[in-house]
Amino acid sequence: MNREPIVMKNISVKSARRQRKWSGAFLTPWMFLLPSIVILGLFLGYPILEAFRWSFLDYKIIAGTGEFVGLANFQEIFADKYFWNALINTILFLVIVLPLNVFLPMILAALVNQKIRGVETFRILYYLPVITPMVVAALMWKMLYSQNGIIAEILLFLGIFDSPTNLLVQSSTALVAVSAITVWKGLGYYMIIYLAGLQSIPKDVYESAEIDGASVWQKFTKITVPMLTPSITLVSVMTIIAGMKVFEEIALTTGGGPAGATTTLVMYIYEKFNSLDVSIASAAGLVLLVLAIGASLLQMKLTSKREDDLRA
Amino acid sequence: MKPKQFTQKLWLYALMIFITCLTVGPFLITLFIAMKSPTEGIYGAMLPENPTFENFVSAFDKANFSLYFLNTTIVTALAIPLNLLFCSLAAYPLARMNFKGRSVVLALIISTMMVPFQLYMAPLFQLSGELGLRNTHVGLIVMQVSTAFGIFLLRQAYLRVPKELEESAYLDGANKFKVWYLVALPLVKPTLVTLAIFTFMGTWGDYLWPLINSTDSSRYTLSIGLAQLSQNFDGSNLKLISAASILTTIPTLVIFIWLQRYFISGATDGAVKG
Repeated sequence: MNREPIVMKNISVKSARRQRKWSGAFLTPWMFLLPSIVILGLFLGYPILEAFRWSFLDYKIIAGTGEFVGLANFQEIFADKYFWNALINTILFLVIVLPLNVFLPMILAALVNQKIRGVETFRILYYLPVITPMVVAALMWKMLYSQNGIIAEILLFLGIFDSPTNLLVQSSTALVAVSAITVWKGLGYYMIIYLAGLQSIPKDVYESAEIDGASVWQKFTKITVPMLTPSITLVSVMTIIAGMKVFEEIALTTGGGPAGATTTLVMYIYEKFNSLDVSIASAAGLVLLVLAIGASLLQMKLTSKREDDLRA
Repeated sequence: MKPKQFTQKLWLYALMIFITCLTVGPFLITLFIAMKSPTEGIYGAMLPENPTFENFVSAFDKANFSLYFLNTTIVTALAIPLNLLFCSLAAYPLARMNFKGRSVVLALIISTMMVPFQLYMAPLFQLSGELGLRNTHVGLIVMQVSTAFGIFLLRQAYLRVPKELEESAYLDGANKFKVWYLVALPLVKPTLVTLAIFTFMGTWGDYLWPLINSTDSSRYTLSIGLAQLSQNFDGSNLKLISAASILTTIPTLVIFIWLQRYFISGATDGAVKG
């Protein structure tokens, strides 16, 4: 066993080297990649391609076949007022969640960035909702919102409603009520992102502002907020991308109701899937994908601009 | 301390405690409901009059949560090491080797991150049926054991490893596999912990895929069991739902307390440095 390679080496060093290059340098990276490529290809790549194909067919999932119908599925969803309702609800959801996600965690981060006793404990307590499974969060809030729950009592006490009211079952308030769950769950996560941004602001900026007699509010609006612009961009884009995919908190609290008031794009797709309209679901999924890609391109553009700013 | 500073601090603490009520309050209210005895009203007085663990016991016994707990544990316990292994393998050549097709593979993997799950869940559902993965643990595990996010995260980590360390190992005659295993992998340990946490949270609380793929209640995970239990969302069930919610959260709490600092740095790992 040991001798043969030596003999070979004597015959042709060049061909042996080439052989090693082929078996080693060529194959090695693919051997590292193999398990992931097989799994991602089979359970991610293939279903994505199938979804593309199905969106141009009238696919029947039970029969496992479908005729080519061109753009008919897209025409159908664009003519469907429930689709437009879902699109508008998705946008409304983002309009509610985005400003709250940008400002509330920023205030929290500013609070827990102070050098005071016990601040680490508060950081942990604010982070708790982040680690809670979404199903649990949704059900806890459903209880809080119920007609006898604490939120109805507070609203009654404040005189906002005359009788105990469940915000989740009123079509005027349901979307706001669901958004509150999303915001609550994300507070701690975005707080940490802001905290990282805050800790990169040089302290002497604040010190010189203090010498000039700046108030707490002035320091916050004139130094903290402008210096946090990169974090604000990041939180905004993450909120938009996550917000377009919002599902559990809606499915488990309102189920899209009342009367479609909380049916977002993802809920619309899920309902189509449940009624086995998988081609319509696929077409609507592609629309969602286009929107998600748009948001991601926006992110890339903004973050590359951010890097340019940092370099300059 | 000046009086002005003192009152300022007092206000600060008051505000922070108020926010704590908002973030922790829902857990406490749920815990209190879960500890109320059968004769007590669910709402009204917040604290349980005669605190009891009865509801936790019935969640385990009658509502089958011991089985759901076991299913979730099996799926999570297998998904974490496999995801770490496959992602750390795949990320290595993408960070450290020059080969044809590298940029294409990397771009393909990263671009899948923006594809919403809802787009391809129907074809996936059909595929899992064809492969015999419906109502199996394997069917739930495969979705977690190689994630684009994990590959991306680890690639970033490998890029930060100094090249000189690997080069000296090559001079000592090690092959690529050995260099990966003995040099690169130990150096990205913090990122592996971060990915383990992300995988844990993603798998433990996963809802939509288990909901679709597990139609048989013997394969329910905690999320699905909880959602099924809550279909009957009224006075008769709320104490049980509360108890089951607390049970579902406890493992994540334990892991969080254990690996706190990784959770905090992981949040920025995934976002800021990514």
